[in-house]
Amino acid sequence: MISTILRILIDYRVGLWAGLLTTGKLCLIIWTTGLMIGTLLGILAHQRPASIGIGLKTASFFLASIPTIILLFWAHYPLQELLGIVVDPIVTAATLLSLVNIVTIAQMVRTAMDDFPAQYRIAGTVCGMSSRAILRRIELPILARHLIPQFLTQQVNMLQMTLFASLISVEEIFRVAQHVNSIMYKPVEIYTTLALFFIVICLPLNVLAYGLKTKFTRNLSEK
Amino acid sequence: MLTATSLKKIIQNRVVLDTLSLTIERGKITSVVGPSGSGKTTLLRALALVDPADQGTIAIDNDTFTFPRLPTDTRSPYPRLTVVFQQLFIWPHLTIRDNLILPLNGVIDSEHFRHLTELFQMTPFLDRYPNEVSIGQRQRAALVRALLLHPTYLLLDEVTSALDIEQSQLILSHLREIADTGVGVLWVSHAIHLAAAISDHILFMDQGKIIESGTPNMLKTPRSQRLKDFMAADIFR
Repeated sequence: MISTILRILIDYRVGLWAGLLTTGKLCLIIWTTGLMIGTLLGILAHQRPASIGIGLKTASFFLASIPTIILLFWAHYPLQELLGIVVDPIVTAATLLSLVNIVTIAQMVRTAMDDFPAQYRIAGTVCGMSSRAILRRIELPILARHLIPQFLTQQVNMLQMTLFASLISVEEIFRVAQHVNSIMYKPVEIYTTLALFFIVICLPLNVLAYGLKTKFTRNLSEK
Repeated sequence: MLTATSLKKIIQNRVVLDTLSLTIERGKITSVVGPSGSGKTTLLRALALVDPADQGTIAIDNDTFTFPRLPTDTRSPYPRLTVVFQQLFIWPHLTIRDNLILPLNGVIDSEHFRHLTELFQMTPFLDRYPNEVSIGQRQRAALVRALLLHPTYLLLDEVTSALDIEQSQLILSHLREIADTGVGVLWVSHAIHLAAAISDHILFMDQGKIIESGTPNMLKTPRSQRLKDFMAADIFR
């Protein structure tokens, strides 16, 4: 089996590499927009709960209620039909998955900020610390410890969601694997190769998220 | 001198501080005692300007804060006035040592730091995280964090409530030394027997009002029926 896997990797290296690049490109867009815009939106939702906060919560409920794959199909076919436009599938996939990531990250940030214990801020204030020092030395480090593990887990989920893009003809790694399988029909070896790829990327991220969560949760919980 | 005059606070249509006045003198320990729900903690938070009063004034030496405060009034009474809360509020992401050092903004008086950490027997756990130490150790950390700021007035909210008798003793025995350095201490507690032992002045509060005040001797001959009842219920007397 290993020799077959190696043969697949060598014979179809161009296609697999192209698929890998497409998946990488998708991830880069989804992760960057999600983390940057999502964090910003989460902060705004915390600061303006009556306007942006309600909008974010509504969007979050909406997105959580519909499977991403349905949304992807809907954005690829009916929406474009309704609007009379044709959009490159990779743009559709990147936009929709970015939106999902943005809303999820924003909700995480907003919840963490809403739930931030006010007493830590008050303790800083009565010790004579400036608002800026409290934000930089107390609030941000505590929030980061809380959020970074969640962010990592979410980005692993988003990487796995890029597989859905294959269903709207995006030539990412999973779709390339399907092509290869249709040519040589070696499903075990081909999908094992794919699984190995995901393990190499996702496992370290998951282990890191778990490690950070264990370490920081320990430090935040008092006897 | 810290002087509060006619402090009034209403929460959900209930008067929790009823035109209350008091004085905290430097070098003296003033205790506020009373039953749960009498407004002791509300008074402390109002004096600390954490939850300001709706009406009244607080004069901290030559600085007078009038309530309600104007939005343009950004003066801060901290850290010359500081507080140790009942819930301690030790920052969980920092070691005990870093909790003590952070508010000092890089200006650390090593001798003062060593003196206080040794006085409160903190050396063995300085490099542990708050979740790795006992509540009594966290209590001492919160107190030392406040003392390192060289406050003129120190407000303490039920700081011995979760401690055993030995740990309470450790903290209370040093309160007098702290006061003797010129710090005005306000100690809020429901433990009237402890207040009588360490205070220069006692205020008995109930339903948002000071019912009786005086030296600890006033507890020997209470004038109000409410204080008599409260003392009769004190199982530690």
